[in-house]
Amino acid sequence: MSEDAGGGLERLPSGIAGLDIILGGGFLKGGLYIVQGPPGTGKTTLGNQLCFNHIVHGARTLYVTLLAEYHARMMQHLSIMSFFDISKIPDQLTYLNGLRVLHDEGLKGLLALLRREITTRGASVLVLDGIVSARRAAEDEQAFSEFVHELQGVAVATDCTMLMLTSGQGTKLTPEHTMVDGIIELSDQLTGWSAESSLQVVKFRGSAFLRGRHAFKITSDGIVVHPRIEALLARPSRPDTGISGRVSSGIDQLDVMVGGGLPASSTTMIMGPSGTGKTTLGLQFLAKCNEAEPGLLFGFYETPARLDAKIAAVCQPLRGLIDSGAVEVRWQPPTDDLLDAYGERLLQAVHRRKVKRLFIDGLGAFKQASVIEPSRIGNFLTALMNEMRVLGVTTLYTLEVPDIMGPTIRTPIGDLSSLAENLILLRFVELGSQLYRLISVLKVRDSQFDASLHEYVTSGKGLIIEATADSAQRIMAGYSNQKGGNPLPANQLREGHNLL
Amino acid sequence: MTGLVLVVDDEFGIAELIDAVLTDEGYRVLTAANGRQGLAVMTKDHPDLVFLDYMMPVMDGAEVLRAMVSDPSIDGVPVVLMSSMPEAMVAERCSDYTAFMRKPFKIAQVTTLARRLLIQSDST
Repeated sequence: MSEDAGGGLERLPSGIAGLDIILGGGFLKGGLYIVQGPPGTGKTTLGNQLCFNHIVHGARTLYVTLLAEYHARMMQHLSIMSFFDISKIPDQLTYLNGLRVLHDEGLKGLLALLRREITTRGASVLVLDGIVSARRAAEDEQAFSEFVHELQGVAVATDCTMLMLTSGQGTKLTPEHTMVDGIIELSDQLTGWSAESSLQVVKFRGSAFLRGRHAFKITSDGIVVHPRIEALLARPSRPDTGISGRVSSGIDQLDVMVGGGLPASSTTMIMGPSGTGKTTLGLQFLAKCNEAEPGLLFGFYETPARLDAKIAAVCQPLRGLIDSGAVEVRWQPPTDDLLDAYGERLLQAVHRRKVKRLFIDGLGAFKQASVIEPSRIGNFLTALMNEMRVLGVTTLYTLEVPDIMGPTIRTPIGDLSSLAENLILLRFVELGSQLYRLISVLKVRDSQFDASLHEYVTSGKGLIIEATADSAQRIMAGYSNQKGGNPLPANQLREGHNLL
Repeated sequence: MTGLVLVVDDEFGIAELIDAVLTDEGYRVLTAANGRQGLAVMTKDHPDLVFLDYMMPVMDGAEVLRAMVSDPSIDGVPVVLMSSMPEAMVAERCSDYTAFMRKPFKIAQVTTLARRLLIQSDST
């Protein structure tokens, strides 16, 4: 324990990884905190999880209920949780009920009980569940303030970290809210049929914390909190060293078109309707990986089996790289999880293997996961992509666009094209009875590039792009005549697609 | 049906429930919120049966059982030990109880135990 009374305050990690990140390392030892939220939001789970996480290190904890769940019932409910360990009860975690003392002896009696139990048991965590009963038992506001004040005194004098759980909501200024060292609010938000739980630290004395709401889930491992990616990465984890150089896209002709390869550590969006070969292009990009330049496929739509078949059909060299571990494939169903859970998993997978080439297939899944708060997606991706840049990761991601044919393209995700440093468009053009595929580069970071359309075909070796724009020119001229208009030059296409 | 029953439990609702059930059955019931209070009631009122919670503030069930053994005036009073934990875990820490009732319990268990143990204590 620190002898320096004026120095940094010691932390008591909650053991809930995401929450500890949000709190900047955990609760402060000897602090008094409120956890509030409507019934069913997970307060009791959080309180118990803190106790069980803490006793792993041999500590003792105390869970005191007032008007709350019966202990036996609570234990039955908790018994399905992975952290629950009945063998730790009662020596390391003791459940007590203070309602009767409160009833018979008032707040003074309850305070005396808490102080005695903390000191005799040497408890370093106290959870007081159902604090509203204590508030009701108080003669007046002053009496309750004094109780909170004295409890805080006990917390400091015993180094016991205290959580008061209450179903109270909102930012109503009650004495306890102004007095405590921190307030964590849990809430449920409903959008259509889906619900998302979120947590907000509304006050935390003595430390910086990640402000705003953060999504969480209650799983069999207890509460799992996902810090909001844009808050977590509000500043990228390291300075942007402006890594220069070029990285092969995986297709020689595309490298020529973008001015000698993609800029290193840049982000490239591949837009196009379904079936144009966006995933194939991404696979070719990953096929340039090696041990020194590991790759990651973070995919949502193609299941592992379908992906394997695709690799066998259009990008065989990638097979060996996956088998040797130079490329990792992480697949998840797009409907499965929270936006920040995806973000967290992506970051972890990138960090773990020091990934240098990342292919995200596709962006639509992030949008789907942000249905509760659609306005977040822009900031979320900006933060994520900024982090990828400073980590030296060159990123490709796909975005499916609804229009199958024709020169005008609409994107389903607002103005996200502005997020990408490089923009590549794939599309179909129908001419006579023939269906052609055309690729064009719409922008490349800080580079001169070939803006003309090129025809390409998909083959067993991936996308094969024409070396010149001639055939594309003929196709577009024919398309234009077919439509009775003028030929549409490539640079006009840029203005035509209304997302830029 | 006669007999004086003491219920020692810090959980308000549980002590109240057992009190109400056994009062309906015709017993006289006293309650206490922790072990020390319970012991004080025992030495003063000499109940015929004790329902004793295991995990309690001030003085827990194990300590109460030890204190009962060392006090001849209350030693031998039948005790129903109650806990949310399995009996095996509780038994590691204390003995000298007559019966064990796992929480959450059913009302029928309370009345059955009371009948059985009060008849036994009558006959001894």
